[in-house]
Amino acid sequence: MSLSMTYEGVEKVFDPEGRNPVRALNSVSFTIEPGELFCLLGPSGCGKTTLLRCTAGLESITGGKIYYGERDVTTIPPFRRNIGMVFQSFALYPHMSVYENVAYGMRVRKVPEETIRTKVTEIMDLVGLPDVLKRNPSPTALSGGQKQRVAVARALVYDPEILLLDEPLANLDAKLRRRMRAEIRRIQKVTGITTIFVTHDQEEAMAIGDRLAVLRDGNVEQLGSSGELYHEPQNAFVANFIGKMNFFHGNVASAAGANRESPVRIGNELEIRPHSERIKLEGPLSPGQDVLVGARPENLSITNVSSAAGEAGGSGGGIVGRVNVIQNLGQITRYEVVVDDAYAIDALEVDMYAPVDGVTEGDEVAVQVNGEKALLFAPETVADTVAEEEEVS
Amino acid sequence: MAADSTRTQTESRIERLLQKDWTPYLIFALPLLFLVLFLFWPLATTVLRALSGPGFDIDLGNLSLENFNRFVTSPMYQRSLRNSFVVSVSSVVFASLIGLPMGYFVARVKMPFKNLFLSIGILPIIMPSFIGAFSWVILLGRQGIIRHFLNQIFMPFGIVIPSIYGLWGIIFAMSLTYFPFVFLLSYGAFSAANPMLEEAAMMMGARRPRIMRTITLPLVIPSLGAGAILVFIRSMGNYGIPAILGGDQYVLPTLTYFRVTGFWDLNSAAAIAMVSVAITGAALLLQKYVISRREYETVSSSRSEQHLHTHWLARLIAVAYCTLVLIVAMLPNITIIIMSFFEQWRGLFPTGFTLENYLRIPRMVSSEIFNSLFLSITASFITAVLGCMVAYITERRRPKGAVILDLAVMAPFILPGIVVSVALLSAFSGDTVLPLGGTFMIILIAFVVRRTPYVFRSVVASLTQLDETLEESSMIMGANWLYTFRRVTLPLIMSGIIAGTILTFATLLQELSTTILLYSARTRTVPVRIFSAVQDGYFGQGAALSVMLLVTVFIVVYAMNRMLGRSISSSFKLG
Repeated sequence: MSLSMTYEGVEKVFDPEGRNPVRALNSVSFTIEPGELFCLLGPSGCGKTTLLRCTAGLESITGGKIYYGERDVTTIPPFRRNIGMVFQSFALYPHMSVYENVAYGMRVRKVPEETIRTKVTEIMDLVGLPDVLKRNPSPTALSGGQKQRVAVARALVYDPEILLLDEPLANLDAKLRRRMRAEIRRIQKVTGITTIFVTHDQEEAMAIGDRLAVLRDGNVEQLGSSGELYHEPQNAFVANFIGKMNFFHGNVASAAGANRESPVRIGNELEIRPHSERIKLEGPLSPGQDVLVGARPENLSITNVSSAAGEAGGSGGGIVGRVNVIQNLGQITRYEVVVDDAYAIDALEVDMYAPVDGVTEGDEVAVQVNGEKALLFAPETVADTVAEEEEVS
Repeated sequence: MAADSTRTQTESRIERLLQKDWTPYLIFALPLLFLVLFLFWPLATTVLRALSGPGFDIDLGNLSLENFNRFVTSPMYQRSLRNSFVVSVSSVVFASLIGLPMGYFVARVKMPFKNLFLSIGILPIIMPSFIGAFSWVILLGRQGIIRHFLNQIFMPFGIVIPSIYGLWGIIFAMSLTYFPFVFLLSYGAFSAANPMLEEAAMMMGARRPRIMRTITLPLVIPSLGAGAILVFIRSMGNYGIPAILGGDQYVLPTLTYFRVTGFWDLNSAAAIAMVSVAITGAALLLQKYVISRREYETVSSSRSEQHLHTHWLARLIAVAYCTLVLIVAMLPNITIIIMSFFEQWRGLFPTGFTLENYLRIPRMVSSEIFNSLFLSITASFITAVLGCMVAYITERRRPKGAVILDLAVMAPFILPGIVVSVALLSAFSGDTVLPLGGTFMIILIAFVVRRTPYVFRSVVASLTQLDETLEESSMIMGANWLYTFRRVTLPLIMSGIIAGTILTFATLLQELSTTILLYSARTRTVPVRIFSAVQDGYFGQGAALSVMLLVTVFIVVYAMNRMLGRSISSSFKLG
């Protein structure tokens, strides 16, 4: 029987009485459904690992409550919580054999030797390592992927109520990481255990999680499925963190209609009219208000300036910029277009399904925005999150 | 409503307290108690005594600086203070002059027997220093064989080699005893320095001497400083060498001893002790200040190999130099071994071959052997437990007062052995609440207080290398603190504990400067016995006992390093 998990106004302040207290978690409240594989995602320093460690009881919280199912575990030390955890470093015991590593949790619980043997065998089958058990080496002799599997086996074997995974794939190489994330999802679905998975890699989080929470500076910015986060980001930070987003400086052109829809100008060249569901600003839009327009690379397009001028002409021509890099990625062709600072925050990334005729690096092109798919956000600084996303801890 | 919420708050607080695992806190209270009782309290009484005027009484109503005044008024005090300074500073200089080139040669010159040089190079600091002093008496004393020999050659030219007794003798013996600190630390720095730094200088057109002056040497200054301060502290606190070689020249430790045994003037001994602690403390601060501005990352991340000098001349000089230094440094041990088989050694050759020196040992010193073993083993065991606990608290728990505990346990590093003895006598001798004067207990306490830092450091080193998530994962899997400590932490830091404990045992076996003030007829140890044999002129008997001690210490250290699979030179960090 798997449990739900509830955070109720969880706060964590490091060094609260010290000279410079650090607020790591800010009134975090949400519920994880029983049997769910839930991802905590965010740039380093966002509080995701702190939240996980608080969930485990390795850190005490300074406010709020944490529930496993109906049980308030806020003050219960980790060893009385019946949870399993996989650490980034795997934390396998070098002085014990693989078998003893996996059996550890059951030895603590004084499970009879018979049961230990059958359960260890079962779990090693589940994680796909039945052969390792026959040789039963020290875990230091295992490969990265094998260590990972042993760590998962060790955390699951004593039937914990919650499974916590702290960046478990960060120490593996790229190829193995892809395979192991599918493995972890398979094992999690077989056991049906409520699982929290911490990562800073948005692709990994989207691939593995039933639902995700994006954290920033100790706050939950948004919570939802991969699709919701990608297509309906609540603010520019989430939009920028999940997938690539191009940001334009927009300006509300005239008063909003009945359903908040109103035309928004980007410079003098473009005017778009985003769908009302895609306006992520509070309150009514007033003419002249500054907004941030977000568009995914697949919602931008480019045309050759000379031909565009000939065919469409006038304001429909789009923002003029210079092609910096063209990457042919097979399925799509990606154009990096540098436009004037007045239009956009950064260089634009445009994904086209086919290469545009006659456009080479250094050429001038006109960029158009699919106004239907564009999003409107409150202006904020988003540039720094791009850098942090690249960071590998 | 409000009262209700406060009650639930207190309830939850109590609940929180009950839920907590209190075992570690209960266990950790023990070392704190020990330190308060046997370190802080004795040091406090030492300070009070030092301020109480000469004699043995503590007079709180009449505090004065009279004891310290003697450093101004008494010529003997002044001379001792000056001697201590001269000896320590000169030892640092000479130890550096001997050790630094040797470190460079072994690290940077392609030469045979490198590991042998490294292994033998450690021996002078592992072996008892007063035994070294004793054999220099045999070699260079008034009737010393080398002196005798050299004088026969040089006499016609009007040159007379002075005897070893006096300041120069002390400096000579100390430099040869402590140079390994400089040798091994600078060796480490020379071999760890990033060779690309020197290559870069070469690319920029610098010649070898300039590179040496501007790149190579500045990079090893932090290590040289660390070695120098070790030499300084050891020379400042060494009792055995100046006691044997000093003649009429006193240094602070021998002056302290003289005040206590000669006059039972514990209060002025306390004042002298405080002065010597102040000097070592100041030296330590100075070194920190100088080094902190010169901290470099000398460890290279890329694994590029050092370019070794291969020129035949460089190799010849290097091998010759290292061999010469080691022969001179090992000469005392060889002398002692020869001496132990003879009755006398007054000319060029020893006379009266005999095994009597050894045969007499069981009859004459069996109780001393028992005392030494009993005290060293017991103290090592207590030290292991205590050092382990404190290391764990300060490294893993980091409670608010951990810094104090950390400092307290490191304090004995700068407290010379004789100072610890004076402090313990101050607190526990004569008519006190806990009279321990002349007991095994007081020596045990002194040993433990003095040696805990070594185990502490050794365990802290293992703990910092131990990934904390190993312990956390055990907690997650349901193990409480004690179970985690027993099954995970302890097995993984065991080699650190064993290394620290065995080295403690090896150093305690030869401990003299602590014991010399604390022993009674009942609790006399082997080093004390050797010391008095030498002073009474029974060289043969002293030599036989020394050989026994040397061999035991060597076997213990060697066996430990073999067992833990480390090179013997790695043990110097602890010794």
